[in-house]
Amino acid sequence: MCLYNLGKNKKCKIEKIPSNHLLKSLGVREGLTVSIMSKQPLGGPVIIQMGKRSLAIAKDVAEKIHIEEVS
Amino acid sequence: MGCHAADGAEVQIQDDELKILLIGNPNVGKSVIFSKLTGMDVMTANYTGTTVTYTMGNVQFIRRKGVVIDVPGTYSLEATSPAEKVAVDFLNNATPDDVIICVLDATNLERNLNLALQVKEYGLPTIFALNLIDVAETQGIIIDVEKLEEELGAPVIPTVAIRNIGLRELLFKSWEIVEKHDKKPIEKLNEKERWDEVRRITNIVQITEDREATFLEKLGDMTLKPWPGLPIAAFVLLISLGVVVGLGKGLRALVFLPIVNNIVVPFMTKIVSLFVTEGILFNVLVGEYGVLVKGIEWPFALILPYVFLFYIVLSFLEDSGYLPRLGVLVDGVLSKLGIHGGNIVPLIMGYGCAIPAILGTKASTSYKERIMVSVLVSVAVPCAAQTGAFISLLGDHSILLLVSVYILSFIALAASGIILNKIVDGTPEPMLLEIPNLLMPDIQSLLKKIWFRTKGFMVEAEVPMLLGVGFAALVAETGILNSISHIVEPLVTNWLGLPKEATLGLLLGIIRRELAVLPLLEMNLSTLQLFVGAVVALFYIPCLSVVGVLIKEFGLKFAITISAITVFIAFLFGGIFNHIGNFLLLL
Ligand SMILES: Nc1nc2c(ncn2[C@@H]2O[C@H](COP(=O)(O)OP(=O)(O)O)[C@@H](O)[C@H]2O)c(=O)[nH]1
Repeated sequence: MCLYNLGKNKKCKIEKIPSNHLLKSLGVREGLTVSIMSKQPLGGPVIIQMGKRSLAIAKDVAEKIHIEEVS
Repeated sequence: MGCHAADGAEVQIQDDELKILLIGNPNVGKSVIFSKLTGMDVMTANYTGTTVTYTMGNVQFIRRKGVVIDVPGTYSLEATSPAEKVAVDFLNNATPDDVIICVLDATNLERNLNLALQVKEYGLPTIFALNLIDVAETQGIIIDVEKLEEELGAPVIPTVAIRNIGLRELLFKSWEIVEKHDKKPIEKLNEKERWDEVRRITNIVQITEDREATFLEKLGDMTLKPWPGLPIAAFVLLISLGVVVGLGKGLRALVFLPIVNNIVVPFMTKIVSLFVTEGILFNVLVGEYGVLVKGIEWPFALILPYVFLFYIVLSFLEDSGYLPRLGVLVDGVLSKLGIHGGNIVPLIMGYGCAIPAILGTKASTSYKERIMVSVLVSVAVPCAAQTGAFISLLGDHSILLLVSVYILSFIALAASGIILNKIVDGTPEPMLLEIPNLLMPDIQSLLKKIWFRTKGFMVEAEVPMLLGVGFAALVAETGILNSISHIVEPLVTNWLGLPKEATLGLLLGIIRRELAVLPLLEMNLSTLQLFVGAVVALFYIPCLSVVGVLIKEFGLKFAITISAITVFIAFLFGGIFNHIGNFLLLL
C-alpha cells in the first residue's frame, strides 16, 4: 500500500521510498513509523507526523512511498 | 567592511581574523545568531529558505577580531541543491585555523544530528550551538548536553538566540577551540549508518516527557487540517486585511493626514514664501504638485500607514511559522496553476513589495516556479504602496469599487497563472516541506524587523517619489505636459475615457506603482473613470526598481518583455472596461 492511501490518524511503517534526495535528508527513511495527520483537499499534500515533527509530502511523492499499516 | 553577499566560497579575510562559519539546517535560528553576533540586520523568518546566498559580518570579542559567515541552511551536504553546493564549498575551503559553529535545533534533534555528523566528518574545529532550547523545554524535550558533547566529541552550547543566551559562550569557545584543535581522522559513514548513529545518539541524550500539548502545539496541528484549518486561514486573512485596511484608514485620517496637512505643509509653504516669490519655482515647490506638498503628503500621509501596517502583519505571520501552513492548505489550488503551495509566501510578500518577493523566489525549487511567481507578482499583485493609493482613490468613493479592483486582480492572477503554466517549460517540484513549530514571535526581533522594513520603504520610496513629483510639477508648470497629453490623447481620452491630465499618472507610474494612481486623486473623476484608472494602474509597469530587479535576475530581454506586456494589458483592459461601462450607462 502507498502512504497516500492510508487513512487519517493511521500509523504505518515505511517500507520503501523513492529516490528523492530531499526526502532522505529530511529524515524520511525505511523502517520508520509515521502517522497521517491530515490530507489536504484537491490533490494537496498529506501531512505526516514523525515523532514531534510534521512534514508535508506532495501527493505524487506520497503515492510512491510504500508502507505497511501498523496498529 | 559591511554586509556582503555573493556567490562563491573564497572569502578574503585578514591574517589576524578568525573565520567562523555558521552552518545548520534551515530555520534553526542561524540568521538570528548571525545578527546578534555581528550586530548586523539580516532578515529572519520562521520558514525554510531565509538564507539563500551567504552573508558575512565582523565580530569583536575581547580585542580579538573575527569574520562570521552565515552559510545557507541545508539538510545535508551532498551538494545536490544550490544551497548545499555553497555550504560544501565553504567547508572544503575551510582550514583548521577556522571554526565551524554548527547550529542545531533542539526541538528536532534527529534531523539536525544527521547534518552535525556530516559536518564533523570534515575534521575541522567545530562547536555546536543547541538553539531553541526554550521551545524544546515547553514541548517537554530534555537534552543531556554533557552526554551529547561526549557523543559528538565537541563542545555543545545551549542557546536561546533571540534572548542572547549562550552567544558569548559560543564566541569564547570559538577562540578556545582553534588553539587546541588536533586533527584526528574521522570515519565516514554511509547514509544508513549515519541514521543509525543518529538514532543511537538521540536515544542516549534525549528524553521526551509526555506532556500535555501546549496551546500553540494544538493550534499548530489544527491549522494543518482542512477542518478547522481552512476557516482559520480565512479568519487570519480577514484579520490581516482588517488591520491593514481598517487601521490604515484610521491612522491616515486621524494621525498622518492632519499632521501633514495642518502642520508640515503650511510650514513648508511659509518657509518657501520667505525666499521665493510666486512663479514657476514657487509652484514647483509648494504649488498644486509641489515637491514639498505632494512629495510629503503622498508618501507619508497616504502610503506609509498601509505599508507600515502591512509589514507588521507580514512580519508577525512570518515569525509565527504560520505561512508554511497556509502554503500547505493552498497547495491543492496552486498546483493546478503549476506552482506548489510554498510559493504563497513570495506571493504574499508581493502584496508588500515586488522586490523581496522576486528575490525570495531564489529559494523556490524550480526555475519554472521562479519565473511564474516573478511574473505573477509583477503583473497582477498590487504592492502595499499601491494599495494605499487605491484606498485613497477608491475607498472614499465606494468600498464596492475598491473590492472589485481586488477581485479583478485575483481573476488576473489565476488567469495569468493558467496561461503561464502552459507556456513556461519545466515541471514544478512536488511539495516536500518541514512544517516549523508555531511560535509566539519574539517582540524584540519583530519590532526590529518591522522597523528595518519600514525604513527600507521610506528610503526606497521617498527619493523616487520626490523626483517623480518634482518632475510632475515641472512638466505641469512648463506646459510640456500639455504637449505630451496632446500626443497620447487618442489613447487616454478616446480609448480610456480619462481626462487628458491623466497622462501624468501614466508618466509617473513608470517610476512607482502608486504614482500611477495618486495623480488621479485630484481630477474629480466619475465612478467609471475611477475604475478604469485603477485597472490601468493595477496592470501597468511594475515600477522602475522592479524592472531593475527583473533585469538583474532574468536579463534585459525578459524585463522588457514583461514591461511591454504589462503596458499592453493595462491599456487593453482599461479600454475594454471603459467601453463596456459606457455602453452599460447608455442602457
Ligand atoms: N523561541 C525561540 N525562537 C527562536 C530562537 N532562535 C531563533 N528563533 C526564531 O526561529 C525562527 C527562525 O530563525 P532564523 O534565524 O530565521 O532561521 P534560519 O533559517 O536558520 O536563519 C525565527 O522566527 C526566530 O525568531 C530561540 O532560541 N528561541
